[in-house]
Amino acid sequence: MSRHRDVRNINVAGKMFQALGNETRLISHSHSDELDDGAVSDGGEEDLSPQEYEQLMSGLDHIRATVGSQEQSGLSDKEIKDTLYHYFFNVEQSINYLLEAQTRKIAARERKAAKEREKAEKLAQQKKAAEASAKLPPAKPKKATGAKLSGASTPVRSTDIRQLDLAGLNLDDETVLPIDEPPPKITVAREKVLEEARKQLEGNADKKTVSLVVIGHVDAGKSTLMGRLLYELGRVDDKTRKAHERASSKIGKSSFSWAWELDGTTEERERGITMDIALQSFATPRRQITILDAPGHRDFIPNMISGASQADCALLVVDAAVGEFEAGFERGGQTREHLLLVRSLGVSQVVIAINKLDQVQWSQARYKEICKLLRPFLIQSGFHPSKTKFVPVGAMAGVNLVARDGDEAQALNAWYSGPTLCDLLDELEPPTRDLDAPLRFPVANVFRTPSSVIAVSGRVCGGLVQVGERLRIVPGDETAVVKAIESEEERLEWAAAGSNVTLHLTAVDPRHITIGSVLCPPTDVVPLVTSFTARIIVFDIQVPITAGTSVELFHHSRDVPASISKLLATLDRASGTVLRKNPRVLAKSMSAEVQITLRSTTVSGPTARAQPIPLEPFSVNKEMGRILIRRGGETIGAGIVTELN
Amino acid sequence: MKLLGKHLDKDGSGYVTLRPDDDEDIWHLYNLIQEGDRVRASAVRRVQNVSATGSIESHRVRLNLTLAVARVTWSPSTAAAGEAASFSTDASTSTSAPAHAATLHISGRVTSENPHVKMGAFHTLDVEVNRDVRIEKDEGGWDSIALGRVEESCVPGRGAEVAAIVCGEGTATFCLLSQHMTMVMHRLEVSIPRKIAANSGAHEKGLTRFYSALFTSFLRHIPYSSPTIRAIVIASPGWVRDAVFDYIMAEATRTGNKALLSTRNKFIKIASQLKETKFAREGIMLDKFFKMLGADEMRAWYGPVHVALAADRGAIGTLLISDDLFRASDPIMRKKYVQLVEDARQKNAEVLIFSSMHESGQQLNQLSGIAAILTFPLDVEVVEAEEREAKEEEERRKQAEENGEDVNAG
Repeated sequence: MSRHRDVRNINVAGKMFQALGNETRLISHSHSDELDDGAVSDGGEEDLSPQEYEQLMSGLDHIRATVGSQEQSGLSDKEIKDTLYHYFFNVEQSINYLLEAQTRKIAARERKAAKEREKAEKLAQQKKAAEASAKLPPAKPKKATGAKLSGASTPVRSTDIRQLDLAGLNLDDETVLPIDEPPPKITVAREKVLEEARKQLEGNADKKTVSLVVIGHVDAGKSTLMGRLLYELGRVDDKTRKAHERASSKIGKSSFSWAWELDGTTEERERGITMDIALQSFATPRRQITILDAPGHRDFIPNMISGASQADCALLVVDAAVGEFEAGFERGGQTREHLLLVRSLGVSQVVIAINKLDQVQWSQARYKEICKLLRPFLIQSGFHPSKTKFVPVGAMAGVNLVARDGDEAQALNAWYSGPTLCDLLDELEPPTRDLDAPLRFPVANVFRTPSSVIAVSGRVCGGLVQVGERLRIVPGDETAVVKAIESEEERLEWAAAGSNVTLHLTAVDPRHITIGSVLCPPTDVVPLVTSFTARIIVFDIQVPITAGTSVELFHHSRDVPASISKLLATLDRASGTVLRKNPRVLAKSMSAEVQITLRSTTVSGPTARAQPIPLEPFSVNKEMGRILIRRGGETIGAGIVTELN
Repeated sequence: MKLLGKHLDKDGSGYVTLRPDDDEDIWHLYNLIQEGDRVRASAVRRVQNVSATGSIESHRVRLNLTLAVARVTWSPSTAAAGEAASFSTDASTSTSAPAHAATLHISGRVTSENPHVKMGAFHTLDVEVNRDVRIEKDEGGWDSIALGRVEESCVPGRGAEVAAIVCGEGTATFCLLSQHMTMVMHRLEVSIPRKIAANSGAHEKGLTRFYSALFTSFLRHIPYSSPTIRAIVIASPGWVRDAVFDYIMAEATRTGNKALLSTRNKFIKIASQLKETKFAREGIMLDKFFKMLGADEMRAWYGPVHVALAADRGAIGTLLISDDLFRASDPIMRKKYVQLVEDARQKNAEVLIFSSMHESGQQLNQLSGIAAILTFPLDVEVVEAEEREAKEEEERRKQAEENGEDVNAG
């Protein structure tokens, strides 16, 4: 409001003089500035289109009118221009920002300005951004008066005339704007955030965050275990539990009542089977854990892959009942396939919960037998023995989840005195995160929040994202602005690599974002490819892979038809040396280098081109460079992208 | 297709006159007509006449033209756009078979004399259903493969088709499968938000939207009550197929669509293992080949060079070959493959010619278009070494002969 008054109190003549002065000053500045920080910036104002330059000039006038001259405000022309640049010549936001900056008097201001200017310059190079900004008239009615003022005082400027014209057209500012509301400002400088993030990852913060995917054969009790664990840790209140109990017994599925906490859809509840990933979180004494409850049914492995690609560690749930464990563990069982999948997606720590021991009278022999059967397979699949932990549990009764007391646990206490499941989860070590890499955010879900904001959930795979940042959506030509970052119903200012978050986006149409899109900074876009070279390991398959085998390619939450277009070489599994060039076939458990080409989704036309997908070599970004290959409902191989062609 | 006339010489030259009945016949014609053939068909051509006073008069003339074929192009058209236009608001009554039209364009120079068009002028013929086409080939042009195709295409009553809906959660593809073709009629994609543990409203709303979109497309694109459709397959992972079938039937009951309800027994629900149907012999055989490749690599060979070597040794039990190879523009290449097929047939081997309009044919095309299951194991490397040796032997002998001549000469 006070700003409002300022605008009215302006002496028009004085302003005119000031404006002219500013102009001359600006011209001389723009050259000296170039020389001063040539090292930081490589383009300077020369990159501006004439239109933008005019906008910059008029914007500068408006701001000067509000904040006062350089001597009064302590703000140089350069700073104002930078800010204008940054907000795409949106005067109101720039003023807001400048006033705040002025009052705060942050010591690091100079450094930030330089950094932001650099970023803004890169943005301005983007043609798209330039166009969008050209369309942007000053946003609010408040500014419309400002525009008239300056128009009256300096009628020479063509921009002001244009603005007057726009005002004359009675265009509602709200409808002209592609942004439905102004994007929030970036309030914290990037370096500061980076520092903060690093500190948190180094363990100086109170709790480390780990994401955990829950895997195992169908009906091993994954969702039940998680539902019970959430209850034990106080994440589920008694009221919800009772409601679930009542409703599940009503449809004759009372044994699934714990799982209902995670299986939300009607179909899942009716069938008693998890069909898609459910995301929940809880805290142990030393860890903040995000759990991704995966479906165990083989038909839903695509969903499981989408969940596993967002996880750091895995919790394997094994059914101890006689015959059940064997069914899950033999060929075609999901215990095996899931373990191989998570390993190939980069998970190296696994906790194995041996469940339903109550059904075998808490027999220690059975527990030992299962451990003995699993151990060699785990080693063979590439899990280090020191990173695999076994724990006996009874999910339904809640035995050995958080504590081991009560009547139910008596039988277990007789022979087990090790850690509980919760203790083991508390010891999980988060892997190293790559904070310096450019941001990659593969979208796992797109939805609208109850307040009708477009939200995407997923995991930050490298770099960090801040509120207010503008992100490019790949594939596509669109950008979006991050309005808010949400994690476990909390609002965050930023999120760094490895965190599973929901981003609220503005200034974008939801149809441009699909599951599988990747969000990245506009300055560092993920490459799009239709063909690439990969190093793969072939799983235990019956029908070998030949050149031309048509497969389904899985990359994060996206699956696309592809074919193995060339078999380049077979490799030694251990050393990676080339055994044979141009092999005819790849049989099971071979390691090979192959070329994979995406297939077009239209079968009929031979000329139809395949839609490219965002992908990066493993050497550039580990999480973006992992792929899985499936055929006919069976995973036949996993690999890493070595080269994009 | 109807065979209207046929005049062949012993040397394999001559002509055949055909009348295509449906899209699949157009596909047959595409496979029959080679570069260099002469094709006679009716055409419409704009003719300009300049009168004595210099005024230009232009009119369209329907005439029969004979072309020396320079290029043949085929476009499978699902004619979704045309369908949509004719789609009446009363969905339940639009049960007639969709009039999709595959088109065949034949371009080349006019070779026969004509009152309107000069000899040597270029023209492009559009071959359509129910228009007679005469195909004339030069000496050796009517080989066993070509004749076989003519014969096969003229067998009456081979119109059995299968309609398939291949779906996942949020995606569906509607296809029609005939003997030689898989036609994708329509592709549907509805974005369904994934479940969020606490609240699944958006997910369920998305699902309903998907089902209703699927039902309308089904009515529009699948000629379910046509007698040539023997089966309607709904394939998907998970339970989507059950849900889709239930929805279709519930909706048919609700709207009182008797035609659809009476086709209930045509519906088959299967799990989509591969995105292809396995009912065809080709599919089964290709699977067998791949299994053999896994079980005994020495008995499953692919690639033109390798298969030719196996044929030389009389080892071929089943020959799998794609029609793509016979469409080769180089007549020598074609002749080579025809020879290979004829040899194999002579040795009692089974020969399957795959249609590249099916998924199985496309997979075979990826495998160089030719593959064979051998009757006895042969090691590729040993055979290659033998060949090399034989060649060296040959060369040595030749050299020896030359040397001998030299000696003689000396």
